[in-house]
Amino acid sequence: MAERAEPVLPVRTGWPLLAVLRRMAAMPLRDPFAFTGLLIYVLFVLVALFADQLAPTDPLEILFTKAGKLAANVPPSLDFPLGTTNLGRDIYAQLVHGTRSALAVGLSAAIIVAIVGTVVGLVAGYFGGMVDAVLMRIADMALSLPFLPFVIVLTGFLGASTSNIVLAVALLLWPNSARVIRSQVLTLRERAYVEAARVTGASSWRILFVHIAPNILPLSFVYAAIAIGWAIITEASVSFLGFGDSESVSWGYMLQDAFSSQALSRGQYAWFVPPGVCIILVVVAGFFISRGYEEVFMPRLRGR
Amino acid sequence: MKLVLERFTHNALALLAVTTILFFMFRLMPGTPLAAFINENLNADQQQAMLEQFGLDRPMWQQYFIYLGNLVQGEFGLSFFQRRPVLDILLEVLPNSLILTLASLIIAYIFGVLAGAWLAWKRGSWIERVAVPAVLATRAAPEFWIGMVLLALLSFNAGWFPSGGASSPGLAYTNNWQRIASWDYLHHLALPVLTLALYLQGLPLLLMRSNMLEVMHEEFVTMARMKGFSEWRIVINHAARNALLPVVTAFALGVGLSMGGNVVIETVFSWPGIGRLLVQAVSVHDYPLAQGAFLMIALVLALMNFVADLLYMVLDPRVSHGRKG
Amino acid sequence: MILEIDGLKIHYSTRAGAVRAVDGASFAVPEGRIVGLVGESGCGKTTAVRAIMGVLAENGRRAGGRVVFKGQAIDEATTRKLLWREIAYVPQSAMSSLDPVYTVGAQLVEVLTKRGNASRSAARARAAELFDLVGLSESRLADYPHQFSGGMRQRAAIAMALALKPSLLLADEPVTALDVIVQRQILDMLRTLQQRLKLSMVLVTHDISVVAYLCDDVVVMYAGQVIESGPVREVLARPRHPYTMGLRNAFPDLMSDALELVPIGGSPPDLSDPPPGCRFAPRCPFVLAACTTSAALIADGGKQAHASACLRDDEAHSLRKAAMDPATWQRSSNFAMS
Repeated sequence: MAERAEPVLPVRTGWPLLAVLRRMAAMPLRDPFAFTGLLIYVLFVLVALFADQLAPTDPLEILFTKAGKLAANVPPSLDFPLGTTNLGRDIYAQLVHGTRSALAVGLSAAIIVAIVGTVVGLVAGYFGGMVDAVLMRIADMALSLPFLPFVIVLTGFLGASTSNIVLAVALLLWPNSARVIRSQVLTLRERAYVEAARVTGASSWRILFVHIAPNILPLSFVYAAIAIGWAIITEASVSFLGFGDSESVSWGYMLQDAFSSQALSRGQYAWFVPPGVCIILVVVAGFFISRGYEEVFMPRLRGR
Repeated sequence: MKLVLERFTHNALALLAVTTILFFMFRLMPGTPLAAFINENLNADQQQAMLEQFGLDRPMWQQYFIYLGNLVQGEFGLSFFQRRPVLDILLEVLPNSLILTLASLIIAYIFGVLAGAWLAWKRGSWIERVAVPAVLATRAAPEFWIGMVLLALLSFNAGWFPSGGASSPGLAYTNNWQRIASWDYLHHLALPVLTLALYLQGLPLLLMRSNMLEVMHEEFVTMARMKGFSEWRIVINHAARNALLPVVTAFALGVGLSMGGNVVIETVFSWPGIGRLLVQAVSVHDYPLAQGAFLMIALVLALMNFVADLLYMVLDPRVSHGRKG
Repeated sequence: MILEIDGLKIHYSTRAGAVRAVDGASFAVPEGRIVGLVGESGCGKTTAVRAIMGVLAENGRRAGGRVVFKGQAIDEATTRKLLWREIAYVPQSAMSSLDPVYTVGAQLVEVLTKRGNASRSAARARAAELFDLVGLSESRLADYPHQFSGGMRQRAAIAMALALKPSLLLADEPVTALDVIVQRQILDMLRTLQQRLKLSMVLVTHDISVVAYLCDDVVVMYAGQVIESGPVREVLARPRHPYTMGLRNAFPDLMSDALELVPIGGSPPDLSDPPPGCRFAPRCPFVLAACTTSAALIADGGKQAHASACLRDDEAHSLRKAAMDPATWQRSSNFAMS
């Protein structure tokens, strides 16, 4: 596809890092979409932190009725807000505890993608030449791998663990952010204040990290927000296909469990609709936040 | 022409890179030693044939070139579990995947382009404020979850569609084409296509919308206004014609990308396609089949990337007609 | 008068409030003459011209004033019928104003058939004729805009503007993006075409030397208002508004006695909150107390031969003398800074 128009970052003097951070912190207050996104994140983080308080039942415990029979496929009630699975497990507890694994997968993938993408983008864009050529060829290669099949093959053979899924997602996602950041660095490199720093004899690394990197920060953030969503969806897909971490209760595990236990034909919507909605909410929150930052830091898109 | 060659080389090299990565992935990974290629499911003759064909007793670098040579000849080895050539199995299911993907993409893009242009037209209205987040939500939903919800609602609850597979049991067809053209096949195809189309329409829709908004600000659109053209002519002949360029390219890319994503859709609907084949092969550790399915998906991806490059060149005169002076 | 602009107001709504890009501008275009509309960027000259063509940015609106074409006041609905048939436009950047996905010939044919009611074959013949008129080879009709050089594109844009034989041409910085030699060629061509086709023309430019070279009359705009207008020779030889005097100093190639380049200190006022009196007062070396509270607008549709919006108009002669001295403007810039 054609490369999108290059985002333009405003020129700033003084303490670039502080200025950018201040603007980044102020942004959600100005953009209602970004605010909503941030609110969703905060909500899920709280749920993950207080999962044990919100849902004291062990999500994998097999529950019995007072009569001593297996509490299987119990419809939603006060005791079980979302009912139970066919093996008598509390669906609500699974949903609440699933937040933890979702955020763990999402955040760790996002951090790796942001760091690798930013460093590669900065180095490739600033130093150019052979370094740039080699890094971008590697990025091309990673981008030409079919995403989900690669993750499946990797986790299928390397072993089904959450860390392998995160690794696979990170391996495939960093090139996107690296490319965009690289092209942004290319334009920033020619800016007046970078030129000025160069003339006054600042070292390459100093220019790179003091003058250019802070201006890149919002972009790294945008790609991190997008990576959170991708990682969570990927984890869900891989779990659904049966290559997930069997140790952890995730939303993808719940969906797989519901699917293979005929929850669909029984019309047990309370089992498989909530996990999907949660995934949508987290991913949409990422979209909203990246949208907000794009509008503030890439004014070309502003007002659309 | 030089550009075509350049893009071809680029995509071919990317494919070569993918096959190389795959080669090492399948040979160096823990739990997939060399010996895995000789499986006890195969009889002694078959094992011997595999050993010779893939040069498994030779050094790694020789194996690599043997592997590449085999691929070029379409020789993917034998499936451990089905005990027949991988290529035969792949070619059997490939049409199912292609039909599913193309049908969904065509529906998704026709809808997405029209709806996207319409939403650009309606910018600032309440419809836009509701529709854009709704479309974002369809992009954010896992494909297979959309499939599960539709399956529960339209198949199990309403009973309108079969719950999986590509044909009803007990029906016999003289050839594959007759099967594909049958009502039964289309009936099975409908729900997976609907699911995939619902998931895919977001991209063309949002792309078309933002392109339209961007193009509507272009000076040549303003000039068309100054010339006194009708609003219809401005929107269709000038704005949409320009906004459509990247969407058409995205379509070709979408074929390749969605082939990979079909892995989950095909599993939800038990659709006998290449994605489901890959999942099955990986879960039973049928390496030759998994490798073949993966490569087939990668091949389609690379091919469609190349087609997208070509389309872009054909459609955009700035690329297809060089500068004069 | 083919075109009269009377008290035109164009406001843009922004987050910071309404920006009065054009605020009561009045000028007139006599039949068969070239009028230069000159001023710094942001003075509202482009906005005024685009408002006449009925194409304002989404956040812009006409907040007042009249546009009279051939004696008839026109509004949005009536403008549409006149567009391109009577009033045509030559853009600053012909590159971005031509649709990149159609050949230049196809775009000429489009306007000829859709707005000129010509048959396709007649349109093709006319397109060739137009290319000939602007000095382009007929064979280039089949080329796409990006295949043209800058000067050729500008010629193509002029051909496009002339397609339906309009009586009034609005040209917005038609040569600004070009190098000096090509500029001269295009300006000469415009002059020739204007005389041959008996066109009336408004030429928007920030370059007073272009005005001196090509125009019959000049209208000087500052901060959304017309501050001086009249015949080019008259205005440039005997400017009556201090801003025009300063503007003339800033373009030394005009002056026979090769003065040094003297910029006007300070910058134009914020149009979302313009000063109450004369808008040039904060930068004017001849400012009086009265200037900061009241202004003399050119109001009668700009039909006066040589009009100035300066309160000290009757002292113009002595002010002009003082304005020749660079020191006058130095003071003004210090003044404006403080």
